[in-house]
Amino acid sequence: MSAHCHSSTPPAFPPRKGNEFLPGASHWPADLSRREFLQLMGASLALAGLAGCGRPSSEKIVPYVRPPEMTPSPDAAWYATAMPWQGYARGVLAKSIHGRPIKLEGNPDHPESLGATDAITQAAILSLYDPDRSPAPLRDAQVSSWEIFEREWLVRHSDLAARKGAGFALLTEPTTSPTLLREIHALLDAWPEARWFQHTALPRYDRDGTQDDFDFSAPDIILSLGADSFYQHPAALRHIRAFASRRRSENNALRLNHVFALEPTLSLTGNQADLRLGLTPARIGVVLNALSRALEGDDLDSATAALSEIERRLVRECSALLRENSRSALCVVGPELPGEFHAWADAFNARFARDAAKKKPALRSDGDQRASGGLGALIEEIEAGRVSNLCILGANPAYTAPAGLDVAGALRRVAFPVHLGEYVDETARECAWHLPEAHFLETWSDLRAYSGTATVLQPLVEPRHAGRSAAEFIHTLRTGESRSAYDLVRETWRAGNDSDFETRWHGWLDRGVIDAVSAPRTRTPSPTATATASFPRFPGEMAPRGVTVLFRASANLHDGRWANNAWLQELPQPFTALVWENAALIDAGLAARLSLKNGDVISLETSDARLEAPVWILPGQAPETITLPLGYGRTHGGGVANARGFSAYILLGGSNPWQRDDVRVRRIGKSATLVCTQGHFTMEGRDLARSLTASEFAKAKREEDPAVTLFPAWAREGYAWGMSIDLGTCFGCNACVIACQAENNIPVVGREQVARGREMHWIRIDRYFDGDPAAPRVLHQPIPCMHCENAPCEVVCPVGATVHTSEGVNDMVYNRCIGTRYCSNNCPYKVRRFNFLDYRAPEGSPVYLQSNPDVTVRERGVMEKCTYCTQRINAARITAEKENRRIRDGELRTACQQVCPTEAIVFGDLNDPSSHVTQRKQERSSYRLLGELNTRPRTTYLAKIVPDSAGESPRAQESFA
Amino acid sequence: MISHEPHSRQTDVPNPSRTGMTFSSITADISHLPLERPRSRFWWTGFLVAFAGVMALVASIGWLFLRGVGVWGINMPVAWGFAIVNFVWWIGIGHAGTFISAILLLLHQRWRTSISRFTEAMTLFAVACAGIYPLLHLGRPQFFYWLVPYPDTMGLWPQFRSPLVWDVFAVSTYATVSLLFWYIGLLPDLATLRDKAGTRLKQRLYGLFSLGWRGDGRHWAHYERLYLTLAGLAAPLVVSVHSIVGLDFAVAILPGWHSTIFPPYFVAGAIFSGFAMVLTLVIPLRRVYRLENYITVRHLELMAKVLMAMGWIVAYGYFAEFFDAWRTGDLYERFVAANRATGPYAPWFWALMACNILAPQLLWPRALRQNTCVLFGVALAVNVGMWVERFIIVVTSLHRDFLPSSWGMYHPTFWDWTTFLGTIGLFVALLFLFLRFLPAVSMAEMRSLVGEKETHV
Repeated sequence: MSAHCHSSTPPAFPPRKGNEFLPGASHWPADLSRREFLQLMGASLALAGLAGCGRPSSEKIVPYVRPPEMTPSPDAAWYATAMPWQGYARGVLAKSIHGRPIKLEGNPDHPESLGATDAITQAAILSLYDPDRSPAPLRDAQVSSWEIFEREWLVRHSDLAARKGAGFALLTEPTTSPTLLREIHALLDAWPEARWFQHTALPRYDRDGTQDDFDFSAPDIILSLGADSFYQHPAALRHIRAFASRRRSENNALRLNHVFALEPTLSLTGNQADLRLGLTPARIGVVLNALSRALEGDDLDSATAALSEIERRLVRECSALLRENSRSALCVVGPELPGEFHAWADAFNARFARDAAKKKPALRSDGDQRASGGLGALIEEIEAGRVSNLCILGANPAYTAPAGLDVAGALRRVAFPVHLGEYVDETARECAWHLPEAHFLETWSDLRAYSGTATVLQPLVEPRHAGRSAAEFIHTLRTGESRSAYDLVRETWRAGNDSDFETRWHGWLDRGVIDAVSAPRTRTPSPTATATASFPRFPGEMAPRGVTVLFRASANLHDGRWANNAWLQELPQPFTALVWENAALIDAGLAARLSLKNGDVISLETSDARLEAPVWILPGQAPETITLPLGYGRTHGGGVANARGFSAYILLGGSNPWQRDDVRVRRIGKSATLVCTQGHFTMEGRDLARSLTASEFAKAKREEDPAVTLFPAWAREGYAWGMSIDLGTCFGCNACVIACQAENNIPVVGREQVARGREMHWIRIDRYFDGDPAAPRVLHQPIPCMHCENAPCEVVCPVGATVHTSEGVNDMVYNRCIGTRYCSNNCPYKVRRFNFLDYRAPEGSPVYLQSNPDVTVRERGVMEKCTYCTQRINAARITAEKENRRIRDGELRTACQQVCPTEAIVFGDLNDPSSHVTQRKQERSSYRLLGELNTRPRTTYLAKIVPDSAGESPRAQESFA
Repeated sequence: MISHEPHSRQTDVPNPSRTGMTFSSITADISHLPLERPRSRFWWTGFLVAFAGVMALVASIGWLFLRGVGVWGINMPVAWGFAIVNFVWWIGIGHAGTFISAILLLLHQRWRTSISRFTEAMTLFAVACAGIYPLLHLGRPQFFYWLVPYPDTMGLWPQFRSPLVWDVFAVSTYATVSLLFWYIGLLPDLATLRDKAGTRLKQRLYGLFSLGWRGDGRHWAHYERLYLTLAGLAAPLVVSVHSIVGLDFAVAILPGWHSTIFPPYFVAGAIFSGFAMVLTLVIPLRRVYRLENYITVRHLELMAKVLMAMGWIVAYGYFAEFFDAWRTGDLYERFVAANRATGPYAPWFWALMACNILAPQLLWPRALRQNTCVLFGVALAVNVGMWVERFIIVVTSLHRDFLPSSWGMYHPTFWDWTTFLGTIGLFVALLFLFLRFLPAVSMAEMRSLVGEKETHV
């Protein structure tokens, strides 16, 4: 890291206005139409005059002084900041080379990152360079400027000020940002008649002013009720890190927890259960009633009389474990489930959770006393004619509103609707003014993590376009004057006449966390349940009412805001491996009843809306249910986002927004082609992703050294790089896939190319359905290059383009490759990726600004694959050699290893007996994938280890064919 | 003239004397084709159709070079597709010529005389078609020469453990020797054409290529020695080329490829397909150009017998693959075997069995062997079958290998088909040009047969 960064101002982008709008910059333009091309050319001409709109910035941003231990390029600087994640902060370290932010890593000092990130955080860097981001203010869809807006606003401002803000409404997403909330409150103070509404497309994490705070490392038993605590939750990274500490063997010792899950649709969290049942919410209630009775001391047989065999097994095992007094247990509930489940969980946790479950004051502004309600309330207000000025910040209600709410119609009734957002999206098009919002890496802000820790978000670059932050915008609205976000944030955190402020400020920016300031609100919630309270009962299951339709956030696009991110679009979705679109996830029994196969289109009709969607049969889905992932089917989300899949928002509605029982489902005889990167989900009886029960593990012997070979062995001098991947803790979050893509300049190829089987990911996550078909389990197996010592690829390359290094890495020499593809044919792991076409972004595309300068951008016709991040190895070697020492263990991490929230991937020097990877490979569960081929892979796996009870069910793989 | 064997197996050779052939009638009958150009409408129609194929090939190659090999249906895991299938198919077809010319020559099978010239030409054209594919299929074809060992400043050499490098040597050697063999055999006939040509231009051109042949006794002595030497050189190449093509697959660890039976099985398959192609072409052409007296039913029947014999060797190869899968008990080999017979490509597999094993069995009765329609049909089936065989070997082994997560399917694209049909067009167009400009049957050798007969009579 270089010291000169201390005083540097955020560097500006090179002036590239003319080229910024090249089409399909982030994906391979399979069929760029002439019309599209002309449109884009027209747009860039129209905007060509706007170059130079950026404002000068004189604030100091502070790089991460103690950078992560690997520092590849000598001129790379790391800045601690945070990414907004559902309104909360997720601490990141942003890597900047030559003034370009190129990669986000987790901030080890941040409690909700702990050094890790998820796939969406990894992909966020691409959105910074998205050519579709809004480039300029628009007045009635015509290019305008902030100055014109400000002039126009001044007229309205004096009018509003006179009326104490009557007729002014603000719509924001719920946030934890102290500065933004301070500005909003200041505005409400100044204009008491103004109204503030909040809208979020996704469920809230607060109830009665409190939010749950769980520790997943302590409890011996975890019961998950439709919760996705490990992926969707704002504190997911902390949760899964703690959970994983109980699921791996260390020095061949285990302290496994027991996990049960009852959930209507397969989630990454539920899949970690040793016994997981796919049940409708109503049926979950029935099982919980039985469990309550069993825990309250009723006879097990009578309590479980109404249950099926496997449900009875769950109640029996769970209650037996819970009755052992020494154990603590935790129950987590998905925010989509109705209140009674939360009440049950409170009772459960009060009895069993000890300190693992706490309630803390809610941090996000959902329950803010000064807000006037949600989107429905806003529309009522508009219909009543009480809103003449409406400012929408960040939210996209025209896309995310349920069918019953006519947002577009309401916006037409507002005299002066203004939208601030990063994209000219569905809502922006309905507003008189659209104003570009700055990306989180472009402006100053602050946010709190779910745990309460606050972070100052510092910009790495000047806004690429004329973007401003939400706090700046509200300040302008209130005062009619503009003030920099930097000043606003500093004002928030400067407590009175603080002489030491500059030092502390510097420290906060440096570490990425504000540790000295406690959370602002101190209201302690009263416990809702006591240890002796009895469990609330659920109403019995009604007679079958037909199909239950469930709505869930998409794993990749979340509520749809990431829809224009090509990395996330092309990322195989968990469990289905679908890309570029969503599908109605349907239970196999229901599909059979409606005679549907994958890709058949169904119609879903309610009284006020109708939707057509292709189906995908998902094992583990609750009987008679369909899950609709949200976030797809954008109409004005950008070139990547538009017309991908369907939008399920139009079906939302009813008393429970996340579930509907009144949807008529029928087959309409059409069929669609869904694109999926893995077409086969069983292991065919092959020993691939291994799973052991605890007692099998206890009896297991270490795998023997490999068989003899005619080839001479490689000398193991210097370093011997190797990797170990723990299948027990990999839960399939895909973070490594995107981290690798960001680190290694891996192109996006587009839907058509993936359909042909040409995706380029260097590390993929194989998914195999396994176990009892009634309670299936998905085994995740990340597959990077195995770096075989007897590499089959090396022997068959006619030009020696793939060769072995002295450190045991199987290298690709792109310059030498002529593209015979024989290496791929001969690779038993099929990890090689080929540039069948020119997959590079078009020349001049802004996405090149994200490229890692240490990694070659590959041309058409060459093979590529995982290199063990050879650029990181070389950087570490250079550093070590300058200091005349060996590379230290842990100093060098591959991109996939660094992001992994569960530390499932460990990389290092096998010649160092004390290195973490050498230790890992000593575990008795360590094995080589396809070891019988004697390829001697350097990448090995640790088998998943499950409690003995989880191994009971017979293996019946055939049923997933 | 080639054979000095006194007791020639008379039943095996056409009996020119019986059909009233003389030195001059042979010369007239055969030189008539390139010099007088009969059946002009047939020739032009056939040639133009074939030439349209050549244009399709040019367009396909243009598009391929413009966009990359991604215009084909290849993917991960099936990284080799039509290009390799077609390469192996064409190389296989290219085996008949040299087998007939060289091996049968050395074995004194003189019935080969009347078909050798034509099959040698066919061999060359098939090898030319085959040779295109390995270049086209490269991701970066501009660097094809890196496959050739040449001293360069960076000291880089091909990676000699790779069978693809062996391929370069095998195929280029085979192409060179075949061309030389064919050209040397043509010399006396080119001189005849020179002498009989009507126009100055033809005389000059044929004269140029006949390298001053005057029919001198020393010429004949050198000629025969050289021809026999080249035959001796070419004979092992027949075995080596397709053995090495077989090794392209056998060296890999992929189930379905990794098999010791491949080299001999590939050689037999090559001769099988080569003879099938000779029959496919000769049966209509002898009719059109009225060469029934030279290429008799007896010839066809003998080729049919070779076809059947090779068919059985190939059938043994299929059996051996399945037997090995069963006997070794290897999980993956067994899966590949079962997947071929019952998986998504099962229709292709059973079509292969029908074409290559069942169809040749029609030829057991002599009457059917001598029935040109039946023979033509069987030959056509074997041509198709051998193409399908290569498709099965390349695609079904790749599409489902070790890790089920990577399994996929192969769907050829429009450009796959145009490239394939384009090389068929190229092959046919070259054959038509050959018929137009060069003697399709060796006049010199035919004359020597007549001479022999007359001597013996």
